[in-house]
Amino acid sequence: MKIYVGIDDTDSIEQGATGETAKQIIRIIEERRWGNCQGLTRHQLLLHPDIAYTSHNSSMCFTAEIETASLEPLIEAAAGCLERDSAPGSDPGLCVAAEEQLRDVESLIAYGYETKKRIITKGEAYELAGKLGVHLSEHGGAGIGVIGALAGVGLRMTNNDGRFQGRLELKVPGAIINVTEILCSNLVERVQSVDGYVLNKNEEVRLGHKLKTVLLGGKRTLLVYRREGALVWKTCTNAHLEHY
Amino acid sequence: MDDWIKKNKRGQVRFRGGSHDWLLAAGIAGNCPHFVLDDEDELLAEEERSCYNCRFRRWIDRYSFVCMKR
Repeated sequence: MKIYVGIDDTDSIEQGATGETAKQIIRIIEERRWGNCQGLTRHQLLLHPDIAYTSHNSSMCFTAEIETASLEPLIEAAAGCLERDSAPGSDPGLCVAAEEQLRDVESLIAYGYETKKRIITKGEAYELAGKLGVHLSEHGGAGIGVIGALAGVGLRMTNNDGRFQGRLELKVPGAIINVTEILCSNLVERVQSVDGYVLNKNEEVRLGHKLKTVLLGGKRTLLVYRREGALVWKTCTNAHLEHY
Repeated sequence: MDDWIKKNKRGQVRFRGGSHDWLLAAGIAGNCPHFVLDDEDELLAEEERSCYNCRFRRWIDRYSFVCMKR
């Protein structure tokens, strides 16, 4: 079965990073041979002074293919990981949604988008999780990480939100590489301009210093841009990607 | 001109340069004893040492952040 695992609020201003906690959970799943995990993504939620996030209000999500019998032990192990490894003072939350058991995908996606627009309460998150039949639990502090954990899953299900964790290593910065070569790395599924044009396999891209991919159209996408009149595409900078 | 806007009701100061003043943010971070590079997934500026990449900046909306160390 395919599952989505969302976590949020595992760090504090002084220590921890939710991406690192997610990677720890992935390691546990794979070491115990419960299944194979795919692409860890970061999803941006609403920035607002009245929300008690640490510094940037983002949540993390990954998917995994597992046997049904592994679902309960996996949830237990992920919860244990959050309780053990989250920073003191954090408010960690965990969401695990099994695709085949999910009652209403559209509601979950709508909730994900809603967390980008308005302040959501913990009660709203629990109520929706109950209706949809997804696991949602808190593991320390005020537990408000459940709001983002559920949102991370909903936004991942859109197939059009979030940046993949980590940087790509293709060639040295400044190198010009063609799209075929990029796709052959198996780290990227599509190369696309910020305007939505999908590059063909013969086109060339100049690599920047920090290569990151985003989730667009369900594909791990390397975004590029080109100044007017220029022939060569360039990979996007972090600033280009801030709204993904 | 001061690089920070006066304290809000929480006692925090807001960066005057908004979300895209790369030079100012790099200049302040270059001399800041509190600067700590944030997690790689949260970096915004290309130059590593920038308030935009600091663990102690807290975004209050899409356009500005407060410094948690001032």
